[in-house]
Amino acid sequence: MSGAASRRVGWMAFGLLLLLSAVMLSLAVGSRAIAPSVVWEALVHGGMSDDAQVVRSLRVPRTVIGVLVGLALAVAGTVLQGITRNPIAEPGILGISQGASLGVVCAIAFAGVHSLTGYVWYAFVGAGLAAVCIYAVASGGRGGASPVKLALAGAAMNAFLASLISAVLTTNARALDEFRFWDVGSISGRDASIAGQVWPFLLAGLLLVLAMARGLDALALGDDIARGLGRNVALLRATGALGATVLTGAAVAAAGPIAFTGLAVPHIARALVGPQHRWLLPMAALLGPVMLLLADVLGRVVVRPSEVPVAVMTALAGVPFLVALVRRKKVAAA
Amino acid sequence: MTYLPPAGPSGRSPVRPAGHTVVRAGHRGSFLLHRRALAVAVVLAVLLAAAVVASLCVGESYVAPGEVVRVLLGLPSPDELVVGTLRLPRLVTGVLVGAAFGVSGALIQTVARNPLASPDVIGVTHGAGAATVAAMTFGLTSYAVLPYVSVVGGLLAALLVYVLAWRGGLAASRFVLVGIGISVALGSLARLFVTKGDYLVAQQAKTWLTGSLNGRGYDQAAPLATVLVLLVPFLLWAARAQRGAAFDEDTATALGIGLGRVRLGLSVLGVVLASVATGAAGPVDFVALLAPQIARRLTRTPHIPLMCSALMGALIVVVADLLARRLLAPLELPVGVFTALVGAPYLMWLIVSARSSRTGGTA
Repeated sequence: MSGAASRRVGWMAFGLLLLLSAVMLSLAVGSRAIAPSVVWEALVHGGMSDDAQVVRSLRVPRTVIGVLVGLALAVAGTVLQGITRNPIAEPGILGISQGASLGVVCAIAFAGVHSLTGYVWYAFVGAGLAAVCIYAVASGGRGGASPVKLALAGAAMNAFLASLISAVLTTNARALDEFRFWDVGSISGRDASIAGQVWPFLLAGLLLVLAMARGLDALALGDDIARGLGRNVALLRATGALGATVLTGAAVAAAGPIAFTGLAVPHIARALVGPQHRWLLPMAALLGPVMLLLADVLGRVVVRPSEVPVAVMTALAGVPFLVALVRRKKVAAA
Repeated sequence: MTYLPPAGPSGRSPVRPAGHTVVRAGHRGSFLLHRRALAVAVVLAVLLAAAVVASLCVGESYVAPGEVVRVLLGLPSPDELVVGTLRLPRLVTGVLVGAAFGVSGALIQTVARNPLASPDVIGVTHGAGAATVAAMTFGLTSYAVLPYVSVVGGLLAALLVYVLAWRGGLAASRFVLVGIGISVALGSLARLFVTKGDYLVAQQAKTWLTGSLNGRGYDQAAPLATVLVLLVPFLLWAARAQRGAAFDEDTATALGIGLGRVRLGLSVLGVVLASVATGAAGPVDFVALLAPQIARRLTRTPHIPLMCSALMGALIVVVADLLARRLLAPLELPVGVFTALVGAPYLMWLIVSARSSRTGGTA
């Protein structure tokens, strides 16, 4: 094993360690702090104490959803950055998440769908439409889909969809009461069954991504070279976009729109293990949940006794990344 | 940006740009008046007056236009309560907010020489929003102080974006990208403060954040009007300085225009206007983007016309508020929702139709 490879394995092990500590923190910290040993006891042996109840019925579902959503968003961001060859592509910035939440809000308000397995399809449709629109707008005109055009088109799309959502919610008071988190993403107060319902969709999205992951490295070299290497570029892009859409749609259906996880995580992962996607994707899959869980834990403690939705925290943590990226010359000049 | 070619020497004024009339005040003062811009301004003013009357007529109960005009003229009328006390304050706020956003957008787009750099895109309105919500959360709810808080917030946000986007120069694309990021961060910060505040404050702040004229009245309009009146001399300066600021660096330097100073003045003025307007009605998105662009297309002037932008902004807000009030009656949509529904597709259209890959020159 070469030095580079063992270093990558080392980083992966470190990522796994981080993930485990983030999970532990997420289980232990909250309005009621619980010692790790008690958490462990509750997980392994059960028990009927108050602490054990809190851990099992509130924090475990929340943590599991956090892990799933973080993983989905980070992988979706990595794939989007790969297929657009654009460093700021991310489901939240591009408005894909917002499209998914509009789909869900419409499903709840107009179609009377109230279960995740029901409205997740609407989320896919919303996310897919938003993704197609964004790319069409940004690649229209001369110069193709440059970062600034993608970001602007995404900002416009976000504003448009957010106003549609707030129009639907204003006119539909019941939907507003039931589903406040469609405004801001949050993983608190979710039923344990949500995690059980969402994982098959995530698995489908991950399989789509895995099917095309080998092609991402070729795509990074440019369309022409990828074609020369025998890749079907259009098919690669379509599969990747579909995979990212499914992952985003499922994540939004579970937690509402959460921005910037898909932006920051792939860049951190790339800095650690390099740009090859067979290392990058797993690393992003490890770090995504870490970022989401840490943001969530922070959101629980920062303004006690109330809680800050996780999407607010990820945005605050992610924006410095965007700014740093933009300040690198290549991005702004592209 | 092209400058109009002089129409050639003629009797009294040696240079007379096409389409302009020279207005002389005595022997010393003179001002170039764009004839088409003047016509557009008159038409917009008439439309605005019509929209104002229509907006005062329509509501839960219908009031005849004749009665509305009587109330406006201060004559006794049975509908004085509905029109004068309930509808007029909200309308006045809307007109002022729209005008302020329109002028602000015109100034900032002139400085950036880029239609995409409107105050809502570059984080000014969100900065004002976050500062106001923060002030509300910490128990500062007096309408006498809040407008100043939002001005400070808007200026700080603009400064932050400027500093972060500066890297041995200011590229428009970097400016816009940083602005979008900072807007998101400040929006999140505002939400964080909403979570922190107690229930009543949270409700108040939430309505405010959607950009709504509902329940706005003279309390909000008064500080805005004061600031606007105080800014009139500066706006007159801006109307003149604006033409110079639209040139590229070399042309402006050759003409002897202190470009740095002019740009700074125009941007500060624009940021202050946008912040005060946000302080009064919350972030009413995209008015500052739309109004100057439409006004400029109507007048076909090389620079963005300030007066027409103000009228256009006011017209947009009044009409949008009218529609937002009545379309889904008895439910009311926030006016910000409505302007975003129209403005966001327009922004996308601008992106698609942009002629170069960089969306404009340097800011």
